[in-house]
Amino acid sequence: MNRTAVGGPRATVAAHGLRVTLPERWEARLYRRAAVHGGPADESHQPVLHLGNFALPPARGDFGTGAVEVMGPRHAFVALLEYDRDEAGTPLFAAARPTLIPADFAANALQRRLPGQLGCQRFFTENGRAFCVYAVLGSREHAATLLGEVGDVLTRVEVS
Amino acid sequence: MTTTLLLVETVVLAVLCVLVAGLLRAYGTVLRRLHELDGGGDGGARDFTVLPMPTARPTTRPGGPAAEPANRPATPPQLGPAADVAGETLAGELVSARVVGVEQDTLLLFLSSGCASCETFWEELGRPGAIHLPAGTRLLVVPQGPADEDVPRLRELAPAGVDVILSSAAWREYEVPGSPHVVYVDGPSGRVRGEGTGQSLRQVAELLARSTGDAGFVTGGPARKPDRDRQQEAAVDRELLANGILPGDPRLYGEDA
Repeated sequence: MNRTAVGGPRATVAAHGLRVTLPERWEARLYRRAAVHGGPADESHQPVLHLGNFALPPARGDFGTGAVEVMGPRHAFVALLEYDRDEAGTPLFAAARPTLIPADFAANALQRRLPGQLGCQRFFTENGRAFCVYAVLGSREHAATLLGEVGDVLTRVEVS
Repeated sequence: MTTTLLLVETVVLAVLCVLVAGLLRAYGTVLRRLHELDGGGDGGARDFTVLPMPTARPTTRPGGPAAEPANRPATPPQLGPAADVAGETLAGELVSARVVGVEQDTLLLFLSSGCASCETFWEELGRPGAIHLPAGTRLLVVPQGPADEDVPRLRELAPAGVDVILSSAAWREYEVPGSPHVVYVDGPSGRVRGEGTGQSLRQVAELLARSTGDAGFVTGGPARKPDRDRQQEAAVDRELLANGILPGDPRLYGEDA
């Protein structure tokens, strides 16, 4: 069941077997790839969850193009993308959901390289579903704080 | 005989006039009721009201909500608490957008697909260069949820690139009396600082500019400049706006108003 709830400092977004209760300041946008981008009807409509501690713009690419450009040094962005279920458990997705650490982040891991930003991409399987998590930190200076926020919001994501 | 004929014709004409007037009145009543059903009722519409507010922007604490600036009044005048906006976009994307406790201010436009008064707002939203907001201010267009709206019509009206979130919950939270309705929220305090209706987005923007002293509502966000230049310009803008002089005013160019 699709449900979006709001109330005070806590907000919950849930659909497509994903659910996240957001920490303060964080917002979320959840869509199915082809449904939004007008892909062919027979294409698998895998969900994409975008999370950010800043105002997420309406037009974004799956890996955050359009959002990372407006990020400030104290901002962080996370994209959680599901892949075909056939991929679950394959070597690329063999790992369990990772806990991201500072050493995971590098400028050359960014999908779109922007000054000061650091990126990280990991693949994993959870509940028989294959995912990629892609995170962007706004600056090296605030990386420790931002990584804490990213870790917090990712622990709030439930996969059913 | 002629006099009698004239009298009869006059009476018939008078009766016809009464009938036509009655029909026009009934037609007007039907149109008004239809307009109210479309969410554009005037019954609860409020003129736009903006409370004075400080113009200095807050700094952000790392990892926490935005901090209040030093010159922010201890108890600023407030209309009421704001609420975050949750709903879905016209593409079916679920959204939870933060309005409360964030760095940016938010201008919420509560519009409908069927309200005649909203057409000007939709048209302005789609006109290149027509929308100006101070730097860091976010614009959200909020029609009611899909169950209460004509979504195909909204897709026709909504210009590309405008953030449209369908949310009946937001209409309830903000007690929207009808459309168009505009709410301006101060992000750091999470309070409503201005709300009401207007004839156009341009008119509302001018009211906001006058009240806040921020010409960005009329000219758009300022370009990056040295702090001293920015502060000086902001002070001049405040003085001009306080005297009802908006960008483009002939008096700025030595002409009579």
